[in-house]
Amino acid sequence: MSGDRRRRVEHGSQYYADPGSPVGLFRRDRPDRFMLALERLAAGIEPLTALLRPGHPPPKPREDLRMRVAKVEHSSDDVAVLTLAPTVSGATLPAWQPGHHVDVLLDGGVLRQYSLNGDPADRSHYRIAVRRIKGGLGSGLVHGLAEGDTVELRGPRNAFPFVRAERYLFLAGGIGITPILPMVKAAHAVGRPFRLVYTGRARHTMPFLNELPEDADVFVRPDDEYGTPGAAELLAGLEPGTAVYVCGPAPLISGVRALIPEGTPFFSERFSPAPIIDGRPFEVRLGPSGQVLRVAEDETALDVLRRARPDTPYSCRQGFCGTCRVGLLEGSPEHRDRLTGGSSRGRDFIPCVSRAAEGERLVLDL
Amino acid sequence: MSTDPTPAPLDTDEPDKLVLHARDVHFDWSELDLHWIPGEPFATHVINVLHLLLPEGERWFVEVFKQAVPHITDDELRQQVLGFIGQEAVHAEAHAGVLDHMEAHGLDPRPYVEQIAWLFRVVLGDRNLSDAREFAWLRTRLAVIAGIEHYTAVLGQWVLDARKLDQVGTDPTMLDLLRWHGAEEVEHRAVAFDLYMHVDGGYTRRALAMGVAAVALASLWVRGVGFLVANDPYLKGRINGVRPRVSWALRDGRRGLIPHLGRLARAIPDYLRRRYHPSQHGSTSQAVAYLAVSPSARAAEAAEQETTR
Repeated sequence: MSGDRRRRVEHGSQYYADPGSPVGLFRRDRPDRFMLALERLAAGIEPLTALLRPGHPPPKPREDLRMRVAKVEHSSDDVAVLTLAPTVSGATLPAWQPGHHVDVLLDGGVLRQYSLNGDPADRSHYRIAVRRIKGGLGSGLVHGLAEGDTVELRGPRNAFPFVRAERYLFLAGGIGITPILPMVKAAHAVGRPFRLVYTGRARHTMPFLNELPEDADVFVRPDDEYGTPGAAELLAGLEPGTAVYVCGPAPLISGVRALIPEGTPFFSERFSPAPIIDGRPFEVRLGPSGQVLRVAEDETALDVLRRARPDTPYSCRQGFCGTCRVGLLEGSPEHRDRLTGGSSRGRDFIPCVSRAAEGERLVLDL
Repeated sequence: MSTDPTPAPLDTDEPDKLVLHARDVHFDWSELDLHWIPGEPFATHVINVLHLLLPEGERWFVEVFKQAVPHITDDELRQQVLGFIGQEAVHAEAHAGVLDHMEAHGLDPRPYVEQIAWLFRVVLGDRNLSDAREFAWLRTRLAVIAGIEHYTAVLGQWVLDARKLDQVGTDPTMLDLLRWHGAEEVEHRAVAFDLYMHVDGGYTRRALAMGVAAVALASLWVRGVGFLVANDPYLKGRINGVRPRVSWALRDGRRGLIPHLGRLARAIPDYLRRRYHPSQHGSTSQAVAYLAVSPSARAAEAAEQETTR
């Protein structure tokens, strides 16, 4: 794969932007009767289906899960293990599987994702574990929670699917044990062969050591006893047919990823969108005479558009899918997207990543 | 992934509630043969019709789904729909890349794709309707997409299972494109249906939309094969001196080179069952397992991590 990941597709969206009335596939000098018949069919069906009523009234919005902090434990240095129970006592929580996470809504609208790591069979409560990061906003707020406090949850959702394999190699680094632990327990419960290598700085910083299965291939590998682990060492003895699951610091994941043989299934958890590098504040105007909004240096134009218009469509948030593309009427942007679908640069703006120079005002076609 | 001997099932065997996300895949077609299933120009062109239909079709899905987003009142569904939109947008451009390759080999796809563009952008476009009819037309188009997505999930599952394509030496890059796409179709197979059920849910509209979509797609497919074989500079309309026949589709379906017509026909009554839900068909675990070995998906993931951390 080349280093240049921009797209240049000739037969892109612009190429077919203004299709004329269809002419024959073979006889280019006459209209295509089949295509025109499809147009008549659509023109006939449209008013008919306008008479059909919806099958049900508009659905009510789904509510967030209101949870009470039932227990706070500190199983190792800097790690808070929270047991969360529904505020309505006796309620059954949504089902989850190993690898699922929840979105936790914290004070000030801060939203953080934490892996569920209790027992999926017990639907009376959820358990999450959070390491305090120096200066970390979300982890600071979680560590400030006490028994009896309430939080709201969304999900559970699955960004780390645990699938059937002949055998597993689980690699966990530090707090990365949280999603891996339920996977290990599930594989152990059905007797599926696996190996777990659990790395960390030192034993007293590594949570859940007392919950690891004892009669299994589990290697607790703190750096202060064994030195910093190399990816090759962690993958030693990897047999074909083994699914590799990794969760931990970024260098661990990328180091292991680089050495995974072709054909070996490799799973790591998804990341949040890229941080904004070298951002400067600028402004966007919504339409030629619309509202002017300020984009701060640490947020994207998409963040700002979504606050003003919550239904703004977007998807990848990395500047490659083009979903959030808007027309650009005025101003000089810094395009930071990877060109998609033959879009003509200059008339389009991709607000999830693209920006502008300090003080610049972009007029968007909104 | 090897499945022999089949591992005993875990109760988590079918991953649920997947977070859908687009993968920034790239394919290099510089080495691709025009007949990328070696010695099988007919089967190659049957599958090539996908490259003609999908870019414009999926761009249309994206436009219609964007219009539907404001009507969603469920946060989980909205997340799924946004993930779906990004995946479809990348699918469209990945297949459009193959069109460039066809043209470079002397097979200009433009006459056919222009018709498809007109179909999706004009006939199935916004049609300048009044408010109430506009919303009904949106729901009808969502029903059409739900019907088509049932087919793309069937095709996606087929290509994940199609061992025959490996055995006959199919171009590995093309096979990866088809399986990456197929796996994402299986992964997100419930989204279009769930969206339709959320904003409308009526049975008559969904059944009618499926009926029309199935007949139109089948006709477009037959026309596409005819177009490709006729314009293929090596074939010039004939394979071994004979014009293509419908019976060849049955033959290559039995051989496992293309989806079997009988299987495609049976997909309609499956969909028309009142209790149908896409999760009843196809294997999420198989889709996710393919994405974990797919060269293009793996490269996309590695590149994404580079820029993310």
